[in-house]
Amino acid sequence: MSLFIRPSSLALPFVLTITLSGCSVMRSYDDELKQTIDLAGQGQLDQAITQHESNNTGGDYDLLYYLEKGELLRLKSQYKDSAGAWLLADQKVNEWENEAKIRAGAILENAGAVVLNDKTRRYDGHDYEKVMLSTRLALDHLLSGDWNAARTEIKKTHEREAIIAEINAKDTEALEQESKEKGITTTFKDLNGYPVETLNSAEVTTLKNGYQSAFSHYLAGFVYEALNEQGLASPGYRQAIELQPNIKILEDGLAALEARPNLRKPSETDVLFVVESGVAPALSSVTIPVPVIVSNLGVIPISFPVLHSDPSRTLQPSTISIDGKDTLPLAGITSLDTMSKRALKDDMPGIIVRGILRAAAKTMSQKALMDQGGGAAIAGIALNVANVVTESADERTWRTLPATISIARMTLPSGKHDIAIGGSKQPIDIQGSHAIVLTRLLGNQVYWSQPAYGPQMPVYAAPAVIEPSHNTENTAITEPEKKASAKSKKKKAKKPIQQAKG
Amino acid sequence: MYKSNNALKAATVALLLSGCATQSPTLSSGNVEYGDSKAVETLTNEFGSTDLQTIAESMANSLLQSPALFAKSRPLVTVAEVKNRTSEYIDTKSITDSIRSKIVKSGMVRFAVDTSAMQTQVDELTRQNQTGLYKKSKSKKMGNMEGADFRIEGTITSIVKRADDVKDVYYKFSLQLVDIESGTMEWADEKEIRKTSNRSMF
Repeated sequence: MSLFIRPSSLALPFVLTITLSGCSVMRSYDDELKQTIDLAGQGQLDQAITQHESNNTGGDYDLLYYLEKGELLRLKSQYKDSAGAWLLADQKVNEWENEAKIRAGAILENAGAVVLNDKTRRYDGHDYEKVMLSTRLALDHLLSGDWNAARTEIKKTHEREAIIAEINAKDTEALEQESKEKGITTTFKDLNGYPVETLNSAEVTTLKNGYQSAFSHYLAGFVYEALNEQGLASPGYRQAIELQPNIKILEDGLAALEARPNLRKPSETDVLFVVESGVAPALSSVTIPVPVIVSNLGVIPISFPVLHSDPSRTLQPSTISIDGKDTLPLAGITSLDTMSKRALKDDMPGIIVRGILRAAAKTMSQKALMDQGGGAAIAGIALNVANVVTESADERTWRTLPATISIARMTLPSGKHDIAIGGSKQPIDIQGSHAIVLTRLLGNQVYWSQPAYGPQMPVYAAPAVIEPSHNTENTAITEPEKKASAKSKKKKAKKPIQQAKG
Repeated sequence: MYKSNNALKAATVALLLSGCATQSPTLSSGNVEYGDSKAVETLTNEFGSTDLQTIAESMANSLLQSPALFAKSRPLVTVAEVKNRTSEYIDTKSITDSIRSKIVKSGMVRFAVDTSAMQTQVDELTRQNQTGLYKKSKSKKMGNMEGADFRIEGTITSIVKRADDVKDVYYKFSLQLVDIESGTMEWADEKEIRKTSNRSMF
């Protein structure tokens, strides 16, 4: 009787874990998002949002739900709704930050427990996703015309990067210590059958890290410059150069920082064109037999995540045309594809150690049941089958992020301009001292943004005189009269302002 | 009688105010505390509040001893930009604001609006003089702004080095006072800060 009871008591927690976490254990995030991205790539944004909602019906929405939703709403040019979704995502990242600061260095906690796979862990987002969230929130605010809110998000980006750096340093230290104690020396290069080349290319290894992007820092420089904060703009441009050296547009950003305000006329707008293309890579699971030295358990199959570059196969344009005459080269300054590979490369030691410890824990539970024989042995076989079925790497990743971000910059007369990328042309009204024009290429679609008015930089000239309206009868003024009137007003205002200089 | 009435009113107001000066109750979840804003902060080796306070204190004290400021009665000074030559997002305006506050408190100098506040100044004068909304006799006249005698400008630079488990950051903050009319540098000083941390901090 007792023999019959013991195996079931051992298997019960396992069965319960499967039941309770059922969806997350077997969920294929790649499959879910493939349909959503396909719809967005065909211009069916409403259907894409409906599809996204139908994939998340539980009510308790996770970080990824808000990340993807914010992106889809932004494609629809619903910048305020998009920012609303991303601010909810931001709350979740804040929770992670507060917890992570306390538990930094506890990267392997619960790794040895009989957990099913990494999918059952709460999704806290990859480091580059957390940073990119702040950058994209800043872009939403810029497109809504709120440059000060964008500045707040940009400041948050720097603080977030500093927290990530601190936590990563502590986690790396803890991981090295744990691996040493357990005698685990396996690296991703030892995984026979793993596509090592995806994580070991020159472009991946030369990145400074997996979470800082040249685009985020260049955007910071541009926003600070627009808000007349040169002291903060220069480190933005400088860090962008450090992250992606030898790119002319980045070098010009810093070199011409002091000269630019004097070169731009009050009637001109400094425009930053941002062209995003494709979608971030997908993650899939590959199972590889790994020798588990812990307790001499032999070779055990363990699943690892593998990245697949932009499945949407969106073309990346190399130029942007303005009013059919100026053609500007687009400089690719950030590849989310490369960043996610670098992030996975940096995460792999933790994934390997967690995988080995988890496999060891599962195998030892199974072995304990088998050693008891009888009914327990049957439970042991069932556990083995369940282990094989549920062994799968975590496929979750922010898929609707673009694969690449390119920029171009030009000072244009304020007003309407025809902007063309590839075969798509759009009239855009550009106003203010600075403006951002954002374009997203996805599948066969080109999504354009119409920026709200940018900030007004000081021009040290009195604004046009506002005369009290004495004559309301004859308000129709011809264009030449308007110009003449403005000229005489400018003349009147100029003298005292010149005296004020110094 | 008029005087005694006023005195009585003043005494009553003072009494009422002092009578109301009871200690406010504290609302607290127990997780938030106020700290000493002057406490030495060494949480990370990035530029922090202690660095800002040290630089502002040191520069303001040094500048107030400059003979150039004594040569003229309450000279007019303007603050130009402090150029940030580091890769860190250091708000240099916040540093110059602190230096300016300390110098203004000494009463030895006056400050003219700086370039960042110029547009607000121009807008206000324009509003008073050109919108037709203000009495001419009560609006402040255009053309009466005073040019500054001196300009304060500077730079902040850093050298960051990493070796094994150690990160060393060296900051140098340089400030100078320039006579605007003659273009001569009348005062200059530097403040150096070195911060070293081990790997778990970066």
